[in-house]
Amino acid sequence: MQKKSTTKIKKGLELALFLFLLVVLWQILYMLFVDVFKIWKPYSAPSPAGVAFSFASLLKSGVLLSALLKSLGRGVAGFAISVIAGLILGILIHHFSYLNRNLKPVIMGMQTLPSICWVPFAILWFGLNNSAILFVVVMGSAFSIALGVDDGIKNVPPLYIKAAKTMGAGQGDLYLKVILPACVPSFLAALRQGWSFAWRALMSGEVMSSTIGLGQTLIIGRDMADINQVMLVMLVIIFAGVVIDKCIFTALENRVLRKRGLM
Amino acid sequence: MLELRNVGKTYPHTVKRTLKDINLTIEEGEFICIVGPSGCGKTTLLNLVAGLEEPTKGEIFLDGIPVKGPGADRVVMFQEAALYPWLNVLDNVMLGMEFLGIPKEERKNRALKYLKMVHLSQFTEYPIHQLSGGMRQRAALARALSMDSKILLMDEPFSALDKQTTNMLRGELEQIWMNDHSKTVLFVTHSAEEAVYFADRIVVLSENPGQIKEIISCDLKRPRQIDQEEFVHMRHRLLESVKKEVEKFAKEEYDKN
Repeated sequence: MQKKSTTKIKKGLELALFLFLLVVLWQILYMLFVDVFKIWKPYSAPSPAGVAFSFASLLKSGVLLSALLKSLGRGVAGFAISVIAGLILGILIHHFSYLNRNLKPVIMGMQTLPSICWVPFAILWFGLNNSAILFVVVMGSAFSIALGVDDGIKNVPPLYIKAAKTMGAGQGDLYLKVILPACVPSFLAALRQGWSFAWRALMSGEVMSSTIGLGQTLIIGRDMADINQVMLVMLVIIFAGVVIDKCIFTALENRVLRKRGLM
Repeated sequence: MLELRNVGKTYPHTVKRTLKDINLTIEEGEFICIVGPSGCGKTTLLNLVAGLEEPTKGEIFLDGIPVKGPGADRVVMFQEAALYPWLNVLDNVMLGMEFLGIPKEERKNRALKYLKMVHLSQFTEYPIHQLSGGMRQRAALARALSMDSKILLMDEPFSALDKQTTNMLRGELEQIWMNDHSKTVLFVTHSAEEAVYFADRIVVLSENPGQIKEIISCDLKRPRQIDQEEFVHMRHRLLESVKKEVEKFAKEEYDKN
């Protein structure tokens, strides 16, 4: 245990050092190309200092925090709808072979469509508001969750089902006490992937609409020709996405896998 | 009493793995072993009795009632333990009884009783992945016994284990079966030694089509010792019978090419 935690700290330090070196490299490149050679224009190239300044001022005015919270709230709401829709759709395409043969390929096709393509429809049907963004989020992530659920059920070892049947399990018991628990690891993987799609779709939606959120803050940065603000918001989007993935989905997945001896 | 009447099984698009004209009557409390060359349909026969597959011909009756689908009166123990990794040992054993609708208190008592019988009392709270292969099969045996089914179907349950573990588990299974003489066991194995060790009667299947070649009565005194003269003799006799089948099959295979 002791050893494990020290290697974890080591890995963390290594990553922190690497990121620090990236920032240093960024600063050097900025100084070289903007200040020395004058190839890049200051208004089109962000600098670490500029981003830090932008961070401080947006934090102080409260804009950043409220945008982040708004976006997160919207992301969670859209994701929740996606999970419910994806679960139902996934179970349906698994259970009915007609849907599996015919609807599943359609869903796979929809899944390849970048979520930003739904924006025109969203705006036409809902207007430039919250519902439009939620629509884009759901269209962007529900299909991936549905396919993951179908896959998860399909990959339950047949032996688990055979054994349960020979012990007299009925359909209800079979689903509730064998198939669903057996699926939990793949469900979690599907949710994790669904979340990353939802988060990306959310940004596509927010960039296009005019409600408070990270996407809108990014667009305001562009409109004010403040490239540092654009860069800052990009970093915050990455950071928020990674933190949620690691702290919620990966942590949950690891816990389940460890309990089952799968890692 | 388990009866197989003219049971046949063919799979579409394949010639192999067929069963033909299987007639077999198994009395209550009998220990029956099924042996034969690999691919002769031993496991298929077991699956038919279990209700996991349906015969294409004939019928199977348990106490006069035709077998339709799987059921808890014919619990199966597979080559792999088929325990559920999200449950600990005790909960795994209890789950089977849960399907039967047995109240929780009794489930637990019975599970603990059978876990003690297979020497897993110290491991009831263990997750499955921390058990050795032998311990897993012990837990699976405890689960199968706790269901108190009329017939226990066993599909090479010890074949994936090492020799020492296998010997120990054989002894334990024999002991449990001898203490509860009403338990009917249908045991598939590819080991002649195992068949002679356990069986009241040994059913030898032939290959392609899978038919009953002969049924050997095996009335050696129990508990049996594998170095007894009668044991060695019986094992030899069984091996000869199976060997001929294997050779016949091999010849057919070569001729085809």
